[in-house]
Parts: sequence; structure tokens; C-alpha cells
Amino acid sequence: MDGHGIYVWLAVSVSLVVLAWLVVAPLLSRRALLKDIARDILRERARQSTATHNQGEI
Amino acid sequence: MPQSTNSGFSAWLKRDLLLAYRRRGEAASPLIFFVMVSTLIPLVLTPEPTRLAMVAAGLIWIMALLATLLSVEGLFASDYQDGSLEQLLISPQLLPMPLLGKITAHWLTTGLPLTLASPLLGLMLSLPTSGYLPMLCSLALGTACFSLTGAVGAALTVSLRKGGLLLSLLVMPLYMPVIIFGTATISYAIDGLNWLPPLAVLGALFAASVALCPLAVAGALRVTSAH
Amino acid sequence: MSWQWFHRLGSPRWFYQTSTRWLPLLALIAAAVLITGLVWGLAVAPEDAKQGNSFRIIYIHVPASFLALAGYYIMAIAGAVGLIWKMKLSFMVMKSAAPIGAALTFIALFTGAIWGKPTWGTYWVWDARITSMLILLFLYLGVMALQYAYHSGDAASKAGAILALVGTVNIPIIYKSVDWWYTLHQPATIKFTSAPSMHIDMFLPLLVMIVGFYLFYAVALILHTRSEILRRERKTAWVRELVEPRAGV
Repeated sequence: MDGHGIYVWLAVSVSLVVLAWLVVAPLLSRRALLKDIARDILRERARQSTATHNQGEI
Repeated sequence: MPQSTNSGFSAWLKRDLLLAYRRRGEAASPLIFFVMVSTLIPLVLTPEPTRLAMVAAGLIWIMALLATLLSVEGLFASDYQDGSLEQLLISPQLLPMPLLGKITAHWLTTGLPLTLASPLLGLMLSLPTSGYLPMLCSLALGTACFSLTGAVGAALTVSLRKGGLLLSLLVMPLYMPVIIFGTATISYAIDGLNWLPPLAVLGALFAASVALCPLAVAGALRVTSAH
Repeated sequence: MSWQWFHRLGSPRWFYQTSTRWLPLLALIAAAVLITGLVWGLAVAPEDAKQGNSFRIIYIHVPASFLALAGYYIMAIAGAVGLIWKMKLSFMVMKSAAPIGAALTFIALFTGAIWGKPTWGTYWVWDARITSMLILLFLYLGVMALQYAYHSGDAASKAGAILALVGTVNIPIIYKSVDWWYTLHQPATIKFTSAPSMHIDMFLPLLVMIVGFYLFYAVALILHTRSEILRRERKTAWVRELVEPRAGV
């Protein structure tokens, strides 16, 4: 490609990496968020059950 | 009974001038910065008069910009901390006028001294004689624009702890048209061209800033100081 | 009655659920258009008489520049809608638009610099377009930094919206001033695109790429907004319902 090819491929590959990151990053964060929220729910449920358990004892 | 719209302006203008006078050491630091850094220029560029003359106009403008940036953070800082900003926001006055008073006070204590000191810098940086009057006119208008637009940045960052650096980042793009036409005014004069057209553009920028910035500042303060 | 759809549009939950349904299709179409455009532009279109193959960079540079500028206005409009109608979702869209726009601006600047080297012998040239694009990057970074500094919440969104709007007013002024200054000092202006004088064989893939980039932008914006919705609405019942099955009752 008459020596200019490397410029084209450099530009295209860096751009594709950035574009890919723009799509992958939110997908990863969404997954992490859902996991985090699930943990929250488990924690709350655990807290609630110990609370009622303790109440029962009193 | 409706209050006159002027009552806010002069009251806050006088207040801020008095406060600046009480802390006049602090208030003088932008000016001192302005003059001191200009003595560094010949050390880093060249002491040769002809070459200094080529860059003098631009350098003076850059330093005026930097000096203003240093000082604009303090525009609302102390008022925010002692609660008087909150008082202003809940007062029945129309907000833009007192704010314009504060900004005017800021210009009187920063921009105006810089403008008046600039001939000294022109001398030190070998500015050609034809450049002095354009420099004074353009700096007077330009530093006023700096105070007005800088106030918008200060309002947006008032409740942040290290807001100063962020403030500089935010207002820098807004300052660009001002320094372009400010430097152009001086360059035109030095090259023997009519320097009134770029000065007129600067005047237009100033007029637009006076009209719009107080509104933007008011909006920003309502949002950020409730934080 | 006609405002009902508008306010329903403002519900984060509605946005999340609707996008879950339509996003895969939109993403597929965007990918198809982009791949078509890329292959067409990089491989199939004829070589340029003067620039050889390096002109092919415009198939990324031009669409990225368009979207970088359009994206800023999208961000500012989202901010304005949020301020005027107090719509949370609009602020979430605004927050999402900022990093996407900044990334696209970076791509535009980077590809422009790479293109400059074989074409004009230098990576960087001070002209109005490049300078304004650089300023646009700073404006984006400013909006991001301001929202980040306030952490999450009302002040962050509103301050960001005000800043975005102030920037919107300034973009044309900055461009015009810089343009004026540089034409004074560099009478030989370098034009980075000569779209009107482009041969149709080269122009069509460019159109395809522009459409593809718009579609890509929509996909990216929706993806980021969905994450932001989950982040801000994590305490609500409907979000918890989303997660519920995974928690393994």
C-alpha cells in the first residue's frame, strides 16, 4: 500500500480500540452493578432475619 | 414597595471594595504576580529588544489572563464560607445586580490595576510606542470580560474544596476569544493598521458578557451553593 | 394529554425496559452499517490521485468529527431539558454523553494527526478546525470533571448542565475567533476535507460511515445511560426485581 498503509492501519486500529471500549465499559459496569445490588439484597435479608430472630428470642 | 434595581449593585460594590481594602495585601498579589513574572520573560526568551517586541503584546495578555485566574477563585469563596452568600440568595433583591456589583469590585481591584500597570510591562518588554494606547484600551475591556466569565466558573465551583484548578480548566476556553482580539488590537496598531475593529469586537464581547454572565452566575450559585 | 408521552419518556424505568428490548437490534444494524462502510472505504474505494491510500483515514476522521460536535449539542440539549423539565433521565443521558463525546473528539484529533503526517509532513498544524476540536475536548473534559467533583446528585447534574450550555454558546464564538486569527497569520489554509470535490466513489462510503457512526453513538449512549440508571435507581423496587432472580432466593 505504497508505505502509507501503516498510517491507515494505525489510525483505524486505535480508533476501533477506543470505540470498542466505549461499548464494552458500560456492559462491564452494568454487570458489576447488578452483582453489587444482589449483594445488597442478600445483606439486607440477612440483617432482617437476624433482627426478627433476635426479636423472637426476647 | 419595589426596591430599585440599583440598590443591590452599589451596596455590594462598596462592600466588596471595603473587604478588599482590608485584605489589601492579598488583593495585591495578582498585580505583583503580573509584574514579577514579566521580569522572568527576558531570562527565558531573550533580552534582545527587537525579539521581545515581537512577542510583547501576547505575553502581556497571557500574564493578565493568568493573574486574573489566580484571583477569580476568591470572588465567592469567603462569602460562601461565612454564609453571606446564602443570605444574598434568599434576599428579595434581583440577583444579577448585586452579583454585578461584586464582579465590578473584583475588576476594580484586579483588572484595573493590571491595566494601569501594563505600560510598565510594555516598557520592560520593549513594546513599540504605537502599542501602548491599544494595550490600555484592550486590557481594560478584556480584563472586565475575564472578571465576568471567571465569575461563572467561580460560581460553578464555589462549594468544591479544591475548586481552583478545575475553575481554570473550565474558563480557559471561554477566555480564548478575548485574548485573541485583545492581542490583535495591539498587533494591528504595531503593524500600522487600524486597531479599532478588533477593539470593537472586544467591546461586543464585553457587552455580551455584561448582559449574560450575571444571569449564568445567578443560576450557577443557586445550584451549587445549596450543595 | 399530549404531554403524557413526554413525561413517560422521562421515566428511567421505561427507558431501561424499552432499551432492553430494542438495543440488540439497533446494535446489529449499527455493526452492519459500520462494517459495510469500513470495508468499502478501506478496501474497495479507489486510491486517491495525490494522497495515495492515506486519505482513507477520512472514513474514520470525518464521521468522528461530526459526532464529536453533534454529541456536544446532544449533551447540552439533554442538560437543558433536565434543567427546564427537571427530568432525571435527561441528566443521566447528559452525563453519559460526555465521555462518549470526549472519546470521539480524541479519535478525531488522533486520526487527523496521523493523516497529517504523510499528507502535509507534520503531525500537528495550528488551524481553526484542529484548535476548535482541541477546545471541544477541553469543554467535554470540563463537564466531566465538574460532575465528578460534585460526586453524584442534583448539584452535579445541574452544574454540569449549566456548564454545557455556556460551552454551547461559546463554541461558535471560539471557532470564529480562532479562524479569524489563523487566516490572518497563515493565508494558505489547509483544508482537511474536500467533500464537495470528492469523487462519488469515494464519497458514498463516507456517507455510510457517517450513518454508521450516528448509529454507533446511539448504541453507546443507550448503554451508558442504562448503567447510569442502575447506579442511581439501585434502591428502587423495579431495579431490585431485575436482580432478584440472580440473588438466588
